[in-house]
Amino acid sequence: MTSATTPAVRTAKERRRLGSLAWHAGALAVLAVVLYPVVWVIGASFKPSKDIIASLDLLPTEPVWSNFSGLADGISGISIGSFFWNSLMYAVLAVVGVVVSSSLTAYAFAKIGFAGRNLLFTLMIGTLLLPYHVLLIPQYVLFRNLELTDTLVPLVAGKFLATEAFFVFLMVQFMRGLPRELDEAAKLDGCGHLRTYWSIVLPLSRPAIITSAIFTFINAWNDFMGPLIYLNTPEKYTVSLGLMMFRDQEGVSNYGSMIAMSLVALVPVIAFFMAFQRYLIDGMATSGLKG
Amino acid sequence: MGTSRNVERRTILKVAGASAATLGLGATTACGGDSGSGDGTVTLRYAWWGGEPRTIAIKKTIDLFEKKYPKIKIKPEFTDYEAFWEKFQTQASGGNPPDVFQNAVGFLRKYDKRGVLMDLKPQADAGNLSLENFRNGVLANGQVDGKQIAIPVGANTMALVIDLKAFKKAGVEPEFGWTWDEYFEALQTIQDKLKIAGDTGYFAIMYLYDLYLRQNGKAFFTDSDLGFTEDDLTQWWEDGYKRVRSGLVADPKKVEQVKPKSALSAGLAASEFTWDNFSIRYEGEGESDYGLAPIPTTDGKATGQYLGSLMLSAFSGTKHPKEVAQFIDFMVHDPEVGKIMGYDRGILATSEQYDAFTPTDDNNKGVKAYEEEVAEAGVLGKITPHPSGADVVESAFLRLGGEVAQGKTKPADAAKALFSEAKAAFAG
Amino acid sequence: MTLVKEAPARPARKRPAAPAAGRRGRRRENLAGYLFMSPWIAGFLLLTAGPMIASLYYAFTSYNLFTPPKWVGLDNFTTMFQDPRWQKSVEVTLKYVVVATPLKLLLALGVALLLAQSRRGQGLYRAAFYMPSLIGASVSVGFVWRALFSDDAIVDRGQKVFGIDVGGWIGNPDYILYALVALSIWQFGAPMVIFLAGLKQVPRELYEAAEVDGAGPFRRFWNITLPMISPVLFFNVLLESIHAFQVFGSAYVVSDTRCGPADATLVYTCYLYQKGFKEAQMGFASAMAWTLVVAVGLVTAVLFWSQKKWVHYEEAAK
Repeated sequence: MTSATTPAVRTAKERRRLGSLAWHAGALAVLAVVLYPVVWVIGASFKPSKDIIASLDLLPTEPVWSNFSGLADGISGISIGSFFWNSLMYAVLAVVGVVVSSSLTAYAFAKIGFAGRNLLFTLMIGTLLLPYHVLLIPQYVLFRNLELTDTLVPLVAGKFLATEAFFVFLMVQFMRGLPRELDEAAKLDGCGHLRTYWSIVLPLSRPAIITSAIFTFINAWNDFMGPLIYLNTPEKYTVSLGLMMFRDQEGVSNYGSMIAMSLVALVPVIAFFMAFQRYLIDGMATSGLKG
Repeated sequence: MGTSRNVERRTILKVAGASAATLGLGATTACGGDSGSGDGTVTLRYAWWGGEPRTIAIKKTIDLFEKKYPKIKIKPEFTDYEAFWEKFQTQASGGNPPDVFQNAVGFLRKYDKRGVLMDLKPQADAGNLSLENFRNGVLANGQVDGKQIAIPVGANTMALVIDLKAFKKAGVEPEFGWTWDEYFEALQTIQDKLKIAGDTGYFAIMYLYDLYLRQNGKAFFTDSDLGFTEDDLTQWWEDGYKRVRSGLVADPKKVEQVKPKSALSAGLAASEFTWDNFSIRYEGEGESDYGLAPIPTTDGKATGQYLGSLMLSAFSGTKHPKEVAQFIDFMVHDPEVGKIMGYDRGILATSEQYDAFTPTDDNNKGVKAYEEEVAEAGVLGKITPHPSGADVVESAFLRLGGEVAQGKTKPADAAKALFSEAKAAFAG
Repeated sequence: MTLVKEAPARPARKRPAAPAAGRRGRRRENLAGYLFMSPWIAGFLLLTAGPMIASLYYAFTSYNLFTPPKWVGLDNFTTMFQDPRWQKSVEVTLKYVVVATPLKLLLALGVALLLAQSRRGQGLYRAAFYMPSLIGASVSVGFVWRALFSDDAIVDRGQKVFGIDVGGWIGNPDYILYALVALSIWQFGAPMVIFLAGLKQVPRELYEAAEVDGAGPFRRFWNITLPMISPVLFFNVLLESIHAFQVFGSAYVVSDTRCGPADATLVYTCYLYQKGFKEAQMGFASAMAWTLVVAVGLVTAVLFWSQKKWVHYEEAAK
């Protein structure tokens, strides 16, 4: 590309500078498009409702706080805080469930030579590719018959039972990469599997566990279909459902606050991301590489 | 038998039952999750659909009820119309619907057939609920096969909501008994003079087509089927699509995108057909003034209108039938409740509440005046039946009408699709 | 087949299943294995295998949730294949998968190639580009998307500059699906990160050797980069297309819960949801779900079969 327009006499230094310029121009262009929606929602939540769609200015000329103060009186008498609390409960339970059950399962796959391991591993990978929707209806019928709808149980049960194959897979890959000398040494010291798991493999697998925990948290926070199907009482709604309730109760009369709440709902995810982006990106990268 | 053993056995049974039922081997036996506690306090779940103003008003009436009946606690659940019926269906199927809930004519037979609705007559006979003082015979709206499975809280009728400023500017004056031709001519005048569409998409509204059919001696539903032919509907939709093309009806793309706001309050068109009690929303949403106008007629007289109702129903399996009846009784008869609710769910159904509420704002006054006018005109007929599955047909009608408007489906194909979907809905 | 077979086989090869301790030791290993696995096994039986069998059974029944399922044989499938809305949902989903997945992966690969050069700010860009993958599935972003693609909003005004006025994408059945495609492409960061990791594994000597041979950048990409990252490409194609088949939340929120207008965003799962949870036709919905399983299975099988022809597993890449 550059060589076509470059005069024959051009020092290597100049060429490098030009290349660097093009690189940054390209990267910045992508950045602008990627960040636009995020900057937009920040700007929009400080605009009066009627300007949000029509005004092209990314940032408001005169920022208003009314959209946020409108959140304080809740939606139809239910405080916004309760949605965040419910989402937090859901996310925390999900994280605990995934970390405990997936690491146990992964340990078995990675470190114990039991009969039938390869078959089970294949099944596990199979569930990774299985469309979730085939399970939707029977699971609903099951939890309904157990009278567990309108609770968090249907949402987190699978997390405690290691059905999140992706994280099991991630941890298996990680545990396999740990030096075998360590658990062999533990065995010589007379440690059983439980001890080896608890005192050696688990602490060493911290990066994989943190990655899984954060992904689980974010997935639970964003989850929409699960709460949509299982939760009924507005007081039990998570943030996703709270937003949808905002839409049907005040989406017209109070559009600005709906956008403001959308922004607030994104904050935990973005904060987590900023704090832990290394873990997330490395985790993602490993999953693809070792596959 | 000790309590703990009881619990244990119950849990085991539940698990066993659940796994059997997952495979569809067992029928559902679960019962309502509500319960009474030691001191005799009873908790009832009460669910409705609607926007924020309704929610706030209902919550006030609940407070009032709990003050009067300190032993009964009410747990509110609310959402929008579509989500309400999705939730209701799945809950009811699990034997766990709310104890009391808002209901509409189109759902009565469906849930009666499934055994979900309580016959409230025995409760009335027991003196827990009064069936007296209902105005204009609306109590009949909640009756199916001699059972009283719903109690009306209000009465409403279809109306034409118009943008008063636009109509005035164009010099158009709606009149009782005006014909469809006159109506569309008026829209043409508006389009010519103001360069906005006249209507927002009348032909996708099932309840308006019902009125049109009633004007012509038919009705949308018979006891168990559709009351018109595929050709009738093809014609109706062809006319409608023509009017979209000519700009008489607003561009469906724009109508679609302002949702959930109505296209009338968004200023896309000058009029819209809807239930008269809904007209209250427009003032809050839009910038113009809005009023109610008469339904166009075929013969210069009959509008085909009738009084419909939003109602309250109770779950047949509720553990507290008496308290449920008392609650419904309070909600439909208490004058204070009437004052709080106003005409949000239609003109108040009982004379106690009707007399207690005097509308002070233009909207409520307008609704009252409109229903009085309609009553005086003597055009109100009897409500026609809504078979089980009417709700599914209504949403199919809306969706297919939308496809016709967008030019995505030919009217004849859409009519054919409606008939086949209706067939499945009636069978289900 | 790496994904399924090689991964478990590798360590097994290195380490014989039974250590010297003999039969008792092996039995103890088995016991320990199954104890550690017990949550997964319970989950697999209760929440995966059981429900799969149940939904397979439902698929051959008429089941409205209220009365027990009634065996109807193949009725659901014959009705389904003739149902114009089902056909429409297949059409919408295929269009979405076929348009969104390649574009997203192309962008991901392109940006990964850009970011693979070590330059200042590279880590920051990588992080920023990855972020949409985390928030893209949220209801919030669905709302934002609806706003951005509305009449008179940024996209519409941008289009009008070029003299194209479609009145916003959201209300237009010919365009709204592309708003969803855009939302999917916006989340190119996840596959990009995987591409980047793959690119970093390509031995530099290969490029140096090619440069000596006088290969230009395009040749180097075609002959070295592409074959070397083909396993990663395969992984991305597989996961992204399987995900695309299952899109629900964004279609539901961006279309304001109706998956319209005129069924233009009636993706497969949205129709499944409507049939199951709105119309309570659980038998029909289960038949749909199983059809999806078979379709996704076929796509997976075809991809695995085709990888023999284009995926190179070099020792170096491992």
